[in-house]
Amino acid sequence: MLVLAIVMVMPFLWMISTSLKTPAEVFKYPIEWIPSNPTWEHHVKVWSGTKSFGTYYLNSLKISLIGTIGATFLSAFAAYGFSRIEFKGRNGLFMLYLSMMMIPPQVLFVPKFIMFEWAGIYNTHWALILPAMFTIFGVFMLRQFFLSIPHEISESAFIDGAGHFRIFFRLVLPLAKPALATLAIIDFSWHWNDYENALVFLIDENLYTIPLGLQNFILENMVDYNGMMAAASAAIIPMIVVFAIGQRYIIQGLTNSAVKG
Amino acid sequence: MTNNWMRRQQRLGYIFIGPSMIGVLLFFLIPAAYSLGLVFTDYKFMNPNVGFVGFDNINRMLHDKLFYLSLKNTVIFLLAVPVSLALGFVVAVILNQRIYLKKVLRALYFMPYITSGVAVSFVWMLLFQPKQGPINGFLRAIGIDHPPGWLSTTTSSMFAIDIIWIWFLMGYNMIIYLAALQEVSPELLEAAKIDGARPGQMLRKIIWPLVSPTSFLLLVTGMIMTIKTFGIIQATTQGGPGNSTTILSLYVYQNAFRYYEMGYASTISWALFIIILIITAIQWIGQKRWVHY
Repeated sequence: MLVLAIVMVMPFLWMISTSLKTPAEVFKYPIEWIPSNPTWEHHVKVWSGTKSFGTYYLNSLKISLIGTIGATFLSAFAAYGFSRIEFKGRNGLFMLYLSMMMIPPQVLFVPKFIMFEWAGIYNTHWALILPAMFTIFGVFMLRQFFLSIPHEISESAFIDGAGHFRIFFRLVLPLAKPALATLAIIDFSWHWNDYENALVFLIDENLYTIPLGLQNFILENMVDYNGMMAAASAAIIPMIVVFAIGQRYIIQGLTNSAVKG
Repeated sequence: MTNNWMRRQQRLGYIFIGPSMIGVLLFFLIPAAYSLGLVFTDYKFMNPNVGFVGFDNINRMLHDKLFYLSLKNTVIFLLAVPVSLALGFVVAVILNQRIYLKKVLRALYFMPYITSGVAVSFVWMLLFQPKQGPINGFLRAIGIDHPPGWLSTTTSSMFAIDIIWIWFLMGYNMIIYLAALQEVSPELLEAAKIDGARPGQMLRKIIWPLVSPTSFLLLVTGMIMTIKTFGIIQATTQGGPGNSTTILSLYVYQNAFRYYEMGYASTISWALFIIILIITAIQWIGQKRWVHY
């Protein structure tokens, strides 16, 4: 098991080790896992050149953070409506909602491109942030969680004179903290790694997010293998750190929505 | 009084789901309807003269060799799903035993799934480098004189993409299987053991049927997710060499944003939707029929 696990992470180990090697050592076989003369110059180049990864980081951070906060809050709001208020047409609307998950992003690219152009947000960060605020998966996942909160809790609050808004903010949201954290971490990782949307909706290089910036860097330095791997490390390592911290939440969230959903 | 209360409930319900519904309308429903309309036009980017062309785009698609090649490549791409499923199951069964470092191992297997697809694509591109890359270096060292060209030849490129995708998906399948295995009741396995079942038999006759709903779900969701992806291919081969890795989702992207044939791109994107619809329909029927509870 350990051997197979190591095979799984070998590409990452090779990436990091290559980013510290000299050009002559890249394809040396047998592989030199620990470079004899480690050098940081490739990493320095990635972070300091005219197109610095710093800009891409800030852009990605901005889009992912605003998108995630918006999506978590709006999902919770809708999930509350779908799970704890009874109103006509609720189930029909929820089915419609879920059916949207079947639409492949490719169907939406062209019309969104035209609409964003018309609205003047094409090639701005809003083109990524606004759609990111709405996640069907988030509503679905939180709805599952809200359904599991006992009804007696809201009933006694009703008797004390609280309305739905107060119950939502004072009771349900605090109870749902772990579920909200789970959704936020998963959602953040999706936006952080999102390449396809950025590819379609951004042109200006100073607006690029990490996946686009990485691609750009690599296409320009196609022969600089060490630089390529240093850039790839810059893109991957933050996610590994996020994963290491939030592992429990990510795994719980994904398994809950897959197994019990 | 009750009537009033009902009306208030109704209004509150809409207030809570309203913001989300507006988002779905703006970023899903309206674009989808718009795209369906584009199927019947010759809309090209920056060309103000948009004409209604009826079924021309659909006709063109049905006679487009590249469309069928992309369809075939998509099917080869999809092979990664059952393979990653099988591997994920095996690893999950082993990790479900009492073994050391379980949590660390689980995290290591799962790591590819949370990292950036573009970044790992570039790493694999170098690993697969045919002349000097470490993978072929290893294959030569164990006596294979003519290792495959991986991403560089038309015959092997799609399979090389499959390997990357299996590596990517496996950890996800594994953690979902682990959760499903934890639901298998230990009493049942204990009873089977007392009746003299061998480990292999228990796996085949008890555990595998009990996790079949999970397998089915992972198969379907994995297929849908795979069909929608093109990032790793766009980053590594851009559909090449010679269109050998052009899958349908990438073909839509190329038509729309490389050739600016947006009417035609919309048509192919709806073909993609129909495939997803069929897979989903199979899921609905299959859930009732094939899944063994």
